[in-house]
Amino acid sequence: MTRRSLLAGSFGLAAGAATAVPFLLPKYDRVRRPARSRVAIVRADEYSERLEGTLMSALRLFYLNIAGKSVLLKPNLVDFVPGVNVNTHPVLVSAAAECFRRLGARSVTVAEGPGHQRDTQLVLFESGFQNELAKQHIPFVDLNRDELVKIKLCTNYTGLGHLFLPRTVLSHDFIVSMPKVKTHHWSGVTLSMKNMFGAVPGTKYGWPKNILHWSGIQQSILDICATAPIHFVIADGIVAMEGNGPLAGTSRPLHSIVLSDDPVAADATCARLMGFKPEGIPYIYEAVKFLGNASTKLIDQLAGQVTAPDIPFKVVPEFEYLRAS
Amino acid sequence: MIDMALRTELKSALIKQELSGGGWSYGSTVGQAALEPTCLSLLALRWDSGPGRSRGLELLLGMQNPNGSWPAFSGDDSDGSGLTALAVIALVNSGEMVLQTERGLEWLLSSKGRESHWLWRWKFRTTDTHVRFDPNKFGWPWQTGTCSWVIPTALSMIALKQAFVCCKPDRVSFRIRCGKEMLLDRACPGGGWNAGNGVVYGVPLSPHLDATAIALLALGGERRNDAIASALDWLERTAETRSAPWSLAWSILALDAYGRPVEALVDRLCALGDPGLLADSTTLAAVSLAIDCLVQGNVFKVIA
Repeated sequence: MTRRSLLAGSFGLAAGAATAVPFLLPKYDRVRRPARSRVAIVRADEYSERLEGTLMSALRLFYLNIAGKSVLLKPNLVDFVPGVNVNTHPVLVSAAAECFRRLGARSVTVAEGPGHQRDTQLVLFESGFQNELAKQHIPFVDLNRDELVKIKLCTNYTGLGHLFLPRTVLSHDFIVSMPKVKTHHWSGVTLSMKNMFGAVPGTKYGWPKNILHWSGIQQSILDICATAPIHFVIADGIVAMEGNGPLAGTSRPLHSIVLSDDPVAADATCARLMGFKPEGIPYIYEAVKFLGNASTKLIDQLAGQVTAPDIPFKVVPEFEYLRAS
Repeated sequence: MIDMALRTELKSALIKQELSGGGWSYGSTVGQAALEPTCLSLLALRWDSGPGRSRGLELLLGMQNPNGSWPAFSGDDSDGSGLTALAVIALVNSGEMVLQTERGLEWLLSSKGRESHWLWRWKFRTTDTHVRFDPNKFGWPWQTGTCSWVIPTALSMIALKQAFVCCKPDRVSFRIRCGKEMLLDRACPGGGWNAGNGVVYGVPLSPHLDATAIALLALGGERRNDAIASALDWLERTAETRSAPWSLAWSILALDAYGRPVEALVDRLCALGDPGLLADSTTLAAVSLAIDCLVQGNVFKVIA
């Protein structure tokens, strides 16, 4: 080997390392993953007043310490599409609010920043939320128009560095993500973690929050959920959505509510209930490294069983690979 | 029949919601001045001679970013909000054709959707084809570095049309023409506009009342065509069935600009427009502008 080739080789190695290292280094600052996670799947066939009792029994399995805490319920209210069930059902949200009050919460607030529809009040009116919230005296905060605080992101998947987030999200003690279980034409599924896109304010990022698409939907999910952590999940799978979700899919009854103290475990469980391989969903694949558990071996099943459907949920062709059978 | 007492009440409520440092925030419980409520409130109070309007104007002028754009709220980054056009509209309608307005217009002329770049046009034509749109037809984005969307495009067109009533420089005419083509390209198949696209994965999207109304206002003075006619019909038909004040207010402003009867909608809005129930100052201002349009003129009406 000549001195010249050694020098060239060293330069090549250095250049290669400089290029590769950023991709090899973890993009999260620390591991937040619990040693074990807990999930409960409870059966519910319809949106009725009986949901409160069902939910209360399931919540008691978790022995949550809610006393004196401010609780924020974050449903998925993306838009109002006549005749299509695109949103978390108001009766389930109202039942959850009552349960957390009974568990001793200091306050319970419902908050959302719809991703498509600028007229939040229209979504509330037309989806039945306005009546339900008024009936139960539950305050609502429009996260698209809340006071905003600049927050450094705890992970670096998008490269955005920081996001402006609503003070309401940052100031509550206990965030409960309440997604509608749906397929999604850009991200495969939209569950508890994708639901947090609603915490990103339209005032700053527009309708839809297009910067999150340009920065990568899967990457954005990770950055948002690492920075504004979800403490609990109550996923509305009573009537879910398959096909061309999140707005133009078709209803598919799943007769299930999924509860979990770990959003990664919740989303992995929902994916299995939809007949999908959770490890095929990029954000779940990455989130298990630092945020939560997806392996059934690390999940304590407090109620119900994870049973994949005979026919997996329909998806757009790009996500056909998710279907487990 | 216009409820004159309600008009006064709405304006008083707006004045009450003014922040101590000037300007308006979105809600009565939020202390952060924001661009949209400030601009809409200034437009609603444009005939008001009280100090609130002056303080609001001063705040608006002071908020401008060094690049000529406006931030979405106080404390925002300085790259520019997609609602910058609203600041220009507010200043033009306040008779404040000041240096700041010109700098705002310059920024608007330089801001464009990311699909206007050849590389992205190529991507949208070849590999990313699930959304049906023509990337040659671009408008304005919500945020620098993202695609064009209906509302920022429509508001920017209104701002340019109002600021250049006659003798439009070529580059202004070009941007208005591009914006018009973009809006017509992205209309929903059944009439009206969604946030940005009409068809995704082969499925038509449902139009939104406010996006449709603002797009129609931007297309005011343009030659009528099928897209405009079907959007107007959809808006007229759908507004009758909705009860959300914000969407009703924009529907009234658009239908009025096209000479469609709005008295029945105004009556409905008056019935819903109790200022005590409209905690959001943006909605309060929009309702005030809609109810006022039959008396004091339509602030968003444009000519070609």
